[in-house]
Amino acid sequence: MEDTVTAAEAREGRAVAEDAVFDQAAEAAPQKKQKKPINQAKLQDNLWGWIFCIPLIVGTVWFVYICLVLAFMLSFTDYSAFSTMADGTQASIFKYVGEWAKHIMVNPSTGKTAPFYWYTWAFNNTIMSKTMTGTRLKEIWLYLFNTVFYMIGIPIGMILSMFFAVCMSRDIKGGNVFRVLYYIPCVASSVSIVFTFKTMFSQTGVMNSLLGLRGYGNGGGFQWVNLSGATDLTWNKIISDTGGKVTSRAAFMNESFWCQGILTKTVIIVMSVWKGLGGTIILYIAGLSGVNAATKEAAQIDGANGWTIFWKVTMPDLYPVIFYNIVTSVIGGMQIYAEPTLFIGESYITSGYVSLIYNYGIGSGVNSKPSQGAAYGMILAVIIFVLTMFQFWLDSRNKD
Amino acid sequence: MENIETMENQVPVSEEPQYSSIRYAWGAVLAFFGISSRTHRASKKRAKFVADIFTYIILLFGAFLMVYPFWWMIAGSLADTEMTGGKKLLESLIWWPQQSTFKSDFAGKGGIFFNYLYFFQNGMKPINGTLTFWRVLLNNLVYSIVPVVIGVITSASAAFSFAKINWIGRNAVFYFLLAAIMVPGPSLMTAQFAMYDALGWRENGLVLIIPGMFGSIMTAFFIRQFLFGLPTSIIEAARIDGAGYFRIFCQFILPLAMPAIMAQGLLSFMGCWNNYMGSFIMIDGNSNAVNLPHAIAAMDGYGAGGIMDNHYGAVIAASVVCVLPVLILFACFQKLIIGSLMLTGSKE
Repeated sequence: MEDTVTAAEAREGRAVAEDAVFDQAAEAAPQKKQKKPINQAKLQDNLWGWIFCIPLIVGTVWFVYICLVLAFMLSFTDYSAFSTMADGTQASIFKYVGEWAKHIMVNPSTGKTAPFYWYTWAFNNTIMSKTMTGTRLKEIWLYLFNTVFYMIGIPIGMILSMFFAVCMSRDIKGGNVFRVLYYIPCVASSVSIVFTFKTMFSQTGVMNSLLGLRGYGNGGGFQWVNLSGATDLTWNKIISDTGGKVTSRAAFMNESFWCQGILTKTVIIVMSVWKGLGGTIILYIAGLSGVNAATKEAAQIDGANGWTIFWKVTMPDLYPVIFYNIVTSVIGGMQIYAEPTLFIGESYITSGYVSLIYNYGIGSGVNSKPSQGAAYGMILAVIIFVLTMFQFWLDSRNKD
Repeated sequence: MENIETMENQVPVSEEPQYSSIRYAWGAVLAFFGISSRTHRASKKRAKFVADIFTYIILLFGAFLMVYPFWWMIAGSLADTEMTGGKKLLESLIWWPQQSTFKSDFAGKGGIFFNYLYFFQNGMKPINGTLTFWRVLLNNLVYSIVPVVIGVITSASAAFSFAKINWIGRNAVFYFLLAAIMVPGPSLMTAQFAMYDALGWRENGLVLIIPGMFGSIMTAFFIRQFLFGLPTSIIEAARIDGAGYFRIFCQFILPLAMPAIMAQGLLSFMGCWNNYMGSFIMIDGNSNAVNLPHAIAAMDGYGAGGIMDNHYGAVIAASVVCVLPVLILFACFQKLIIGSLMLTGSKE
C-alpha cells in the first residue's frame, strides 16, 4: 500500500517537476521562437487599423484641413470666379493657389502689396443706414451684434429644458411619450418651420389673436415680423400715428441700432428655442438619470427640501452636461444663418455674421469674391476659437 | 436632559391654541392639496399625487406648444388661398381654415389636396421652368440615402479601428480628427465652394453626395463609445480562430453595433433630408440639382416673399411634404433614436 502511495506521489511529483520544467521552457523558448508570429499580429493590427480609418482620415483632411489651408491662403489674395492666371487662362482654385505668391492682394488705392487688405476692409467697411438718413454704420459690428443677440435664446432654452427635464424625470407614467413629443421639432425641416412661424406671427396670425392684438394700430394688427415699419406701430420703428411725426421716445428707438427689428429678432429667438428644446431636454434627462440617488436620499433624510437638493446635489452632478451644452450652443449660435434669412430676407438688421461670408464670398454673382469671404471666415474662426477657449478657461478656474 | 424633554413636550402644547380657526381650516385645505403646514401634516401620497397633476398639466401644455405648429401646418395646407390676398386669409387660421379646400370648386383639381397638387405641378417654377417635383424628390432621396448609408459604414469602420484595434499613432490620429470638429463650417464655405466649382461637382449635385461618403467624425465618435461597451474577448476569440479583421468587422461588429449604427444613420438621414444650407450655398439656384428644402425656400423668394402670395397654401403644403417623411420615420424609430441620444447624453 505504502509503496503504491509513494509511487503515486513520486509520479505526481515527477509530473509536477516536469510541468515546471516544461513551463520554464515554454516561458523561455517562445521568446526566441514565437517572436515572429507576435510581430505578425502587430503588423496585422497596424495594417488593418489604418485601413479601417483611411476613409475618415481622407475625408477629414480633404474637406476640413485642406479647405482650411485653402481658405487661409485665399484670404490674402484677390481670387474671384473671374480671376485669370498669369498666362491669361481662367483660374481654378487649385491652379490659383499653386501660384499663390504671385497673387497676393494689392491695395487698389495705394498700389502696394497688402496681404491683410480684406481683413482691414472687413473692419473698416461702413454701410448706409436705412433708417437714419446720412448715417454710416460699421457693418461687421452690426452683424456681430445680431449674432450675439440671438444667443439670448441659449440661457432661455437651457432654463426651460432643465425645467421640463426635471418634470419628465419625475416618477410619472408616460414620461417617455412626452420625451418623444418634445423631440419632434428637432427632426423637422427648419425651412418648413420658418414658414409656419412666419405666418403664425403675421399681423392677423395666431399670436395676435391670442394676445388680442389683431385690431392693433390702424386695425391691421401688430407687426412682429417687419423691418420697414412705415405703416404700423412697432418697436421696429416707432412712429406716432398722427402724420408719421417722430415722438421723442420714438426718436430714441429709431436712431439706436440696438432696438431696430427687436421684435423680429425676438420671434426668431422664440422659434429657435422652440426648435432646440427637445434635444437639450434629452441631454438633461440623461444627465439627471446619472445623478447619485444615494446622495439625494441622504440629503432628504437630513431635512433638505427639494429646492436645496436641486441646487446642492443635482446641479453639481449635472455640471458636465451643462458645460457641454453651453459650449456647443455658443459654437452653433455663432454660425446662425438660415433662420433669420428665411424669416425676413437678407438685412443688416437681422442677419447673422455668416451672411457676410455668404454675401461677399458666394452670393453676389459676378462680384462675389471667395477670397473676401474667406477673410470673413477666418475672422469667424478666430472669434469662435477665442470664445471656446474662454469658456474652457472659466471652467478650469471654476474647478480650482 | 430633563430640561430638554420638558421643553420638547411643552412646545406643541403651548403653541396649539395659538392658531385661529381660520388658520386651522386653511391648513386643512392645504393638506388636502398635499402641502404641509404647521397645523396639518399632509400625507406623502397626497403630496405626490398633487405634484403629479401639476407636472402633467405643465408637460401637456408644453407638448401642446410643441405639436400645435404641426397641426397648424396641416390645416394650412388644406386652406383655399387661390385669390388675391390669399396669404392674408391663410394668416388668420387658428384651428381650421376659414375657406378650406373641402369645396366643389376643387373637384377634379385634386379635391382637398388641391394645394399639394398645385405644389407638385407649379412649385418648382421659381427654380426653373422644366424642373419637376419628382426630380427634386429623387435628388433629395439620393442626397440623403447614398451618403448616409456609405458614410455610416465608413464611420463605423473608423470607430471599430479606434475602439478595438491597437495600432501605432491611434490616439494621435483620433485627436487630429476630433480637432476638425472645432473648425467652423462657414469659415471653409468659400474655399469649399471654389473647390467644388473647380471639380465640377456643383452642377450635378455630387457636392452633397461625395463629402458625406467619407463618414462623419461625430458619428464615428458615438459608435466608438458604443463599441467600448462590447467585450473585446469576442474579437480575440475570432482572431484566434483565424478570422481576419475585415471578416470580424463584417460578421461581428456590424451586427452587434447595429442599434448604434441604425440610430446614427437615421439621425444623419434626417439631417441630410433637411439640409437646406448645403444645397442653398453650393448648388446653383436655377439648376436641376437642388434639393427639396431649397426648392421650398425658393417658393417664398428665400424669405423675401412675394412670389407665391396668391397660392400660399401651396407653400404650406410643400412644408408638410418636407416634414412628413421625417416625422413618419421618427415615429417608427423613436425608441431607437431617443435611446441613442440618451446614451450619448450620459456619456458626455
